[in-house]
Amino acid sequence: MSALAPEERPPSLRDPPSPLPAGARYFCTVGRGLEPFLMREIRARLAVTQVEYVSGKVFFTTNSGLTMLKQLKSAERLFLLLKRQPPLIISSRSKGKVFNEIQRLVTGDPMCWVRAVSIWRSLELEENLPPEVAKPSKRKTGENENIVTKKLKIEQTLAMPGDAECQLEKQNSDKMEEHKDLTTEKENFQEEKSENDGEKEVEHHQGKLTFRVSCRCSGTIAKTFTTEIFIHLNDIYSVVGIPVFRLPLASRAYIKVAGLRSTIAWTMASLAEINVGAVVLDPMCGLGTILLEAAKEWPNASYLGADVSDSQLLGAFDNLKSAGLMDRIELFKFCVTELPLLSQSVDVIISDVPFGKKFKLGKDIKSVLHEMERVLCVGGTIVLLLSEDLHKYLQDYKESNITWNSSKDSTDEFKIVKYVNAEEKNRIQENVSSSFQDVRQECLDKRPLFGTLVQMECHKVSLGRTEAFISKYKKIHASELQQPS
Amino acid sequence: MRAQAGMKLLTHNLLSSHVRGVGPRGFPLRIQATEIRVSPVDFNPDFVTRMIPKMEWAALVEAAESLGHLSELPRQLEEGYEKDEDFLRKVHHVLLEVEVVEGTLQCPESGRVFPISRGIPNMLLSDEEAAS
Repeated sequence: MSALAPEERPPSLRDPPSPLPAGARYFCTVGRGLEPFLMREIRARLAVTQVEYVSGKVFFTTNSGLTMLKQLKSAERLFLLLKRQPPLIISSRSKGKVFNEIQRLVTGDPMCWVRAVSIWRSLELEENLPPEVAKPSKRKTGENENIVTKKLKIEQTLAMPGDAECQLEKQNSDKMEEHKDLTTEKENFQEEKSENDGEKEVEHHQGKLTFRVSCRCSGTIAKTFTTEIFIHLNDIYSVVGIPVFRLPLASRAYIKVAGLRSTIAWTMASLAEINVGAVVLDPMCGLGTILLEAAKEWPNASYLGADVSDSQLLGAFDNLKSAGLMDRIELFKFCVTELPLLSQSVDVIISDVPFGKKFKLGKDIKSVLHEMERVLCVGGTIVLLLSEDLHKYLQDYKESNITWNSSKDSTDEFKIVKYVNAEEKNRIQENVSSSFQDVRQECLDKRPLFGTLVQMECHKVSLGRTEAFISKYKKIHASELQQPS
Repeated sequence: MRAQAGMKLLTHNLLSSHVRGVGPRGFPLRIQATEIRVSPVDFNPDFVTRMIPKMEWAALVEAAESLGHLSELPRQLEEGYEKDEDFLRKVHHVLLEVEVVEGTLQCPESGRVFPISRGIPNMLLSDEEAAS
C-alpha cells in the first residue's frame, strides 16, 4: 500500500511494494488439473483481492510485487490482463467484418493500452531490467474448443509517461483459412516441442492488423519486437494480455535439465506434507526434478534420491550442483523393488512412476508398493505420479481386494475395511476419461490400496500430450483397519 | 562451487543390507572410507532435534568413530538434549558435515561390499543376491 514513488523507496525492502496501491490484474496460464493448486498457492503467497479460474487459466488481482509473483511454482506463465470479455460473436461470414471485430477487441480501447503499458514499464523498472525482447511463447489450442488462437505482434514506439497515445505501427493482414488448420493441433505446454514450428503470414494491402500464426517467437522476429501480446479467443472468452517476464515461470533458473515438468513436481511435493526434519525419498528419481523442487521450497528436510541408471544419476548430480543443493540431497544407486533401508525409516516418498513399456504393470508395481510401505513410517505420506493405465490398474486392484477374502491376499496385515463414504463410491466409478471440465477427481474412499496404505487424494493432470494422475497415500496403523461388522 | 559430494552419516544410519536372508542383521553397514570430506552446513537446531530420535544412536557413534569424527559425542543419549545447544551442534557436525566420497560399505552379516564412488553408494544387488 505504499504511495512512494519508485525513486523514494528504500532499496533494502525485501519485497518492495508494487507501485500500484490498487493492485494490477493478472492471469496465469496453468496446466490442466493444476488450477486448484495454483489458486491455493496464489492465496497463500500473494495479497489478493480476487481469484478465479477457468480451464487452463487463473485470474487474480494483487498489489504484491514482482519478487513474490516470481515465486509462483505451479503456474506456466504470468500475464498482465488487458481484456477479458465474453466470446466474440462472429455475426457475419465476411472476413473483413471479423477482422474489424478482432481489431476492435485488441486496439479499440487506447486508454486500456496506455494503462497496461505504464504498469508493464513500472514493473520492468522495479525489476531493474531494460524491457527485453520477448522469449518464445507457447501457443495453446484446445482439442475440444473451436478456437482460433493468434499472436499479434505490434511494433511499439515507447511512449513518454503521460502521453495519451501509444503509436501503433500496424502491418497488413492475413487469411482465415490457415487458422482452421490449427484447431487440430494438440495442446502443448512445452516450448521446445512445438509440432508446427511454422509461421504463416500473407501480406494483403488492405486492413491494418497483422496476424502472425506461429508457434515460436525466435530469430529475427524475436529481435525486432520489444514485447509480445497474448490473445486467446475461444467459445468461452476473449482474453488479451502481456507477459510480465521474459521466461515462463515454469522455466526454473535453478534447474539445469528438467525431467518431469517443474510445475507438476512442485505440486506433488506440496501434497506430501514435508515437515522440518523429515526424511524424504524419491526411489526413481531420474534427473532429480522432484527432489530439486521440494528441497528448494522445504529446505529443512533430508532428501534421498535413487535410480538404477548411471546416466540419470550423473544428470541428477549435475542438476544438484547447478542448483547449489548438494548439501540437501544425496544420491544412491539402488532399485525401488529392493530398498536398502531400514523399515519405517522414511517419512515421505514422492515419485514419478515410469510410464511406458519398461515398467511392467502387475508384478512390478506390487513389489514397488510393498517396499514403499515397508520403509515408510506410520503416518507417512506417499505421492505418486501414475500413468492412466497404472492408475486404472490400481483402482481395479483395490476393488478386487475388497471382494476377495483376506486369506487370498499376500500381505500380512491386510483386513477388510468398512466403507467410509458409500456415496463417494459412485463418483469414483465415473469414467476416468471424462473431459477436463472435471478439474480434479478426489477419491475419498478410504479403503486401503495395499496393506496399510490408504488413498487420500487423487488428481487428474495434464502433462501436455498425455494425462496422468497425482495420487496420495498415507500409511495407517494396522489397528486402524477395521473388521466388517 | 563444490565439485564433490558424499554420503552423510545421517543417511548411513538409515541404510541396511538387503542381501537375501540377512534381515535385520544387515545393519549397520561397516564403513571403510578412502576419501572423506568435511564441509560446513547451516546449523538448524530444530532439524537436529527432530532427527535425533530417528537415529540408532549406538550405530551413529560407531560410524563417527570409524571415520575419526567422534569428537566428544557421548556414547549414550542424555535427557534434555533438546536444550543443549553445544550438544546439538556436535550432533549436527556428525550427521551433516562429514561425508564419505570414496570408500565401501560392508554388510556385517554376509560380508557383501557395496562401493561408494564419487559420493554415490552403489547398492544394486544382482538377481541371485536379492531377497525376492
